[in-house]
Amino acid sequence: MKLIDTNVNLGPWPFTPVPDRTGPELAAQLAASGIRRALVSHLGAVFQPEPMVTNRKLFAAVKRTPGLLPVPVINPALANWREQLAECLAAGPIRAVKIFPNYHNYSLGSRKLDPFMAAIADAGLRLIVNVRLEDERHRYFALRIKGVPVKQMAAFLTRHRDHHVLFSGIYKPEVEKLAPDHENFSAEVAFCEITNVLEIMLAKFPASRLLLGTCTPLLSTRGQADKLRCAHIPARAKALIGAGNARRFFKL
Amino acid sequence: MRVIDIHTHPVFRGLNLFGRPTDLNRVIAHGRRHNVVHMIVLGDVLLFGVNPNIEQLRKINNDTIKVVKARPDYFTGFVYLNPLLGERATLAETERCLKTPGFRGIKLEVANNAAHPAMRHVAKAARTFNLPVLQHSWSTTNIKDRKHQSDPVDTALFARRNPEVKVIMAHLTGIGFRGVLEAKGLPNLYIDTSGGYPEEYLLEFAAEHIGADHILYGSDVPIRENSCTIGRIIGTKLSAADKHRILFGNAARLLNLKLT
Repeated sequence: MKLIDTNVNLGPWPFTPVPDRTGPELAAQLAASGIRRALVSHLGAVFQPEPMVTNRKLFAAVKRTPGLLPVPVINPALANWREQLAECLAAGPIRAVKIFPNYHNYSLGSRKLDPFMAAIADAGLRLIVNVRLEDERHRYFALRIKGVPVKQMAAFLTRHRDHHVLFSGIYKPEVEKLAPDHENFSAEVAFCEITNVLEIMLAKFPASRLLLGTCTPLLSTRGQADKLRCAHIPARAKALIGAGNARRFFKL
Repeated sequence: MRVIDIHTHPVFRGLNLFGRPTDLNRVIAHGRRHNVVHMIVLGDVLLFGVNPNIEQLRKINNDTIKVVKARPDYFTGFVYLNPLLGERATLAETERCLKTPGFRGIKLEVANNAAHPAMRHVAKAARTFNLPVLQHSWSTTNIKDRKHQSDPVDTALFARRNPEVKVIMAHLTGIGFRGVLEAKGLPNLYIDTSGGYPEEYLLEFAAEHIGADHILYGSDVPIRENSCTIGRIIGTKLSAADKHRILFGNAARLLNLKLT
């Protein structure tokens, strides 16, 4: 079964002992769970005052590892976001960029994002919105960052109807709240979990809008891959979630 | 690799997969798809809220009795107790459940903190009937409800106060790295892997500090996914022997299960 992982990161995380892998080491870690291609960002961009330092590390790390596709992080709340985007496009090729509204302290529903959305559309890029990186119950005690509120996601989807975005790190109940009113989003499933979660989600949400993500290295790569591999769902849905949707969405 | 799941709620009315004791065939089919050859049934523990009275407790345990009686080959029961109901109720309910063969442990949820004086009643029941105690545990660093939630400090204290009682501190991800260190050096304290998302490196950390022989696989189905919780163990760099201990051997030994 072909698997494309849409939620992978390089770099260390300050609160748990995740390894600071090289590109080839990350590729080997993913391959051990049957994942041959992945969309990769760098965790350092979450906390740095400006993401390009770690975006440059990302491009350098994946340069000679063809299975790892760079997804640089842009902070559109900074005055230089156009420069960030331009440098990433020059360093590319890239298929998408990622944003972290909660870590970078801006509202996803803000109209200030309008020019940014127009710019990435002009560049032919997809947008990944990271909703969360960890279960809020287990975060570092002094970190008070919560997941992106559903209300902001809904406002964003309403405001940018012409854009189809991918929410990564979204919870199943959040998908269910957004689904009735919004068709312009897909959901990455690393943080969707109850027993038979994919089977249950498919009853109300199309397979064409679910994408595999492992949240490596913060969550178990094998555990997340097995969630799809062992799912009691039709083979066609499995193929779409595992690779087909990512291939189409990111034009791979 | 065969699996014993020490943390399951086959009767769980809040989710639509499981639900009634009559749905057991679905539960067993689900388990077998993931090589789960035996499940420990902990009851629908929050059905009546955090502090069930004796009648409510009996209703929950009666569902577990039905499950164990129907398929003793696949299900082992734990007696769900509310320590705040006192010594007489605790001992009586334990004895009542044990009349059904296939009960081998005690389950505690969030009626009280594990450091509460009422826990002596549970310790007495555990000693009297030679049963391990599985205590819901979660770090209270971010969840500020120490009255009900047992921080790993509290569960470790219960184990330390009662060295002759085998204690299972539930929810590896919930107790986190700090919780593992609280459990270190207590030979009567085990940790189950249930609960939370499959955060990386916790399992290896736990094996390093308390030993793989003190870790038990648990899923917390239907709240969690067997495939993901088992894959989390299979995907580590632990030895095949340690993985077997965690997934099967430790629970079989602790509960004296003779599975063919």
